[in-house]
Amino acid sequence: MLIATGLSKSYAGKVALHPLDLQIQAGEIFCLLGANGAGKTTTINLFLNFIQPSAGRATIGGLDVAQEPLASKKLLAYIPEQVMLYKNLTGLENLDYFTSLAGGKHTASELMSFLTEAGLASADASKRVGDYSKGMRQKVGIAIAIAKQARALLLDEPTSGLDPKASNEFSALLKKLSDSGAAILMATHDLFRAKETGTRVGIMKHGHLVATYATSELGHADLERIYLEHMHD
Amino acid sequence: MTLRIARKEFTEMLRDGRFRGAGAIVFILLAGALLLGWRNHGEVSAQHATAQQATRAQWLSQGKKNPHSAAHYGVYAFKPQVPLSLVDHGTDPYTGVAVWLEAHKQNEFKYRPAQDATAVQRFGELTGATVLQLLVPLLIVLLTFNAFSGERELGTLRQLMSLGVSPSQLASGKALGVAAALGLWLVPAAVIGAVAIAAASSQGEVMASVPRMGWMALSYVLYFGAFTGVSLAVSAWAPSSRSALMILLGFWMMNGLIAPRVASDLAKTWKPSPSAFDFGQQMQLALTKGSDGHDPGARAKVLEAELFKKYKVDKLEALPVNLLGIRLQDSENHGNEVFDQSYAALWDTFTQQNRIHQLVAMAAPGLAMRSVSMGFAGTDFAQHTHFAKAAEEYRRMIQRTMNDELTYNAPTTGAPYMANNDLWKKVKPFDYTAPDAGWVAQEQAPSLGIVGVWFAGSALLAAWSARRVRVL
Repeated sequence: MLIATGLSKSYAGKVALHPLDLQIQAGEIFCLLGANGAGKTTTINLFLNFIQPSAGRATIGGLDVAQEPLASKKLLAYIPEQVMLYKNLTGLENLDYFTSLAGGKHTASELMSFLTEAGLASADASKRVGDYSKGMRQKVGIAIAIAKQARALLLDEPTSGLDPKASNEFSALLKKLSDSGAAILMATHDLFRAKETGTRVGIMKHGHLVATYATSELGHADLERIYLEHMHD
Repeated sequence: MTLRIARKEFTEMLRDGRFRGAGAIVFILLAGALLLGWRNHGEVSAQHATAQQATRAQWLSQGKKNPHSAAHYGVYAFKPQVPLSLVDHGTDPYTGVAVWLEAHKQNEFKYRPAQDATAVQRFGELTGATVLQLLVPLLIVLLTFNAFSGERELGTLRQLMSLGVSPSQLASGKALGVAAALGLWLVPAAVIGAVAIAAASSQGEVMASVPRMGWMALSYVLYFGAFTGVSLAVSAWAPSSRSALMILLGFWMMNGLIAPRVASDLAKTWKPSPSAFDFGQQMQLALTKGSDGHDPGARAKVLEAELFKKYKVDKLEALPVNLLGIRLQDSENHGNEVFDQSYAALWDTFTQQNRIHQLVAMAAPGLAMRSVSMGFAGTDFAQHTHFAKAAEEYRRMIQRTMNDELTYNAPTTGAPYMANNDLWKKVKPFDYTAPDAGWVAQEQAPSLGIVGVWFAGSALLAAWSARRVRVL
């Protein structure tokens, strides 16, 4: 579903991402680990076509994201570290706006059920987003992804700063989306969550994808040890 | 999709206290300016009507008088105020609205409020036009400078673009949203204006005002659209909201404050117009070189000789016509030639200056809009000359009537001839109809074109910039 072929990016001679080859199938949750600046966000932004690749290509569902910027995005949902919403609109209105721009047609009660499914209390849904906590905004982000029925999810540290309970709920939702056939690429610093929810993990360092593992092969302690070994220069 | 974006932008703006405040201020100023304009228009129109009646009554009740004395006595002509002039005073305060029509002279217009105004007043007169041409664009800038850059800085742009929204739809949706929000304030203000105009108009005037109002409204919509387009384009293209605001405020100042000065300075330098004093002197000089009806000098002898030859007589008493009448009309004819030449040259200079304004207007649409606005308000220079020509025609008709009376009805010699009220009645009251909207549109075609081109160009520019908007 998500395929990178020789995908690379450099800025003014400085390489942010060395040629990357990666395939993520439907139903898979691939967790990208690595220090800040390792190239995780660059990879995600390349899939989003927010930046142009220096070489190689990224495809979503067979569509080259640079050639088909609009069609490829119809297949994906994106949840950044901070889901940003329009503060003068309520959570429900934000969801309504984003889903209708994505081409969806939903009744108010359907939209409300997406928010409930994402874990937002219905009383909060009709409050203006200006008063939302980060966790509440992330939930609206998930509701957008649910409503869109995205076949590919691009998540950039979506749980950083969430409390353990919220983080746990988030992981459960990811599993649910993955079970329904979505391919998920998630950049994260949370080794525990990566091991818990991910089907595969990849470790990035200085723009290289240095290793990938199936999480079923690893214990929690193993992942941390391997990660630290890789980070050690 | 576009409508959905517009609806959200509209809702957001309505919930923004800053927009409500700024919009309310603009609305109050605009409505206030229109109501003040309406009151002022009512007073001035009433004064004109009274004065027009008074001058007519005085003319008719001159009693027994020599026709040439009556010609000197003269009448006043008042430029009728098109009701829309309450929106835009245009050049009226500078060109004047009343002219004295007397023998021998095509007078300059009188009652020019600008003569009595201080330099500060010139800048600060609050009219509908000032609000529409300066403040509404400023409001548009404030509403749209961060349309793209603000969303980028906030992070919502990433969210939007990840949905697969077409950037040009986003731009047009935002433009529509701003239009709807502005409409919320401007449509009621326009309704107030229309009611004021209707209240200020007589039955016939209302019908004449409707097409003018339509044209004026359309031009302002195009002008605001151009500003919105430029604003959106800059917002998409500028590195930050801060710089977008700086660039747009710069453009606004250039457009509304600097360009008009530059245009009039350039016009004055390239196509200098004579001062009123010089113009008067030149004309006086040209007049003295010709026939003077009061001067029994060389020209009088020539005319006398011509008449003797024509009627085959050899003394004044034998002439079937009055020599003084002939002499006066002869001097009138000479004067008319001088006036035609002098005023044609002067108006030609003004027309050329106008061309320079239009040239500058290509870079600053506000200048073109100013011209279009005063055109449909009936207060531009073209309509001033249209009236001035009609008034001059009327003056010449009076002179001819008076002189013909002398020529054909006065005894050839003896005591001065006295005419009575019957003669004064022969002169029909001055009836002037301002040109219709189509005539104005034709006169204003270059400026209208510039506003239209700016509208289309800015829409393309906005779409182009939106397609290249940086998401991160």
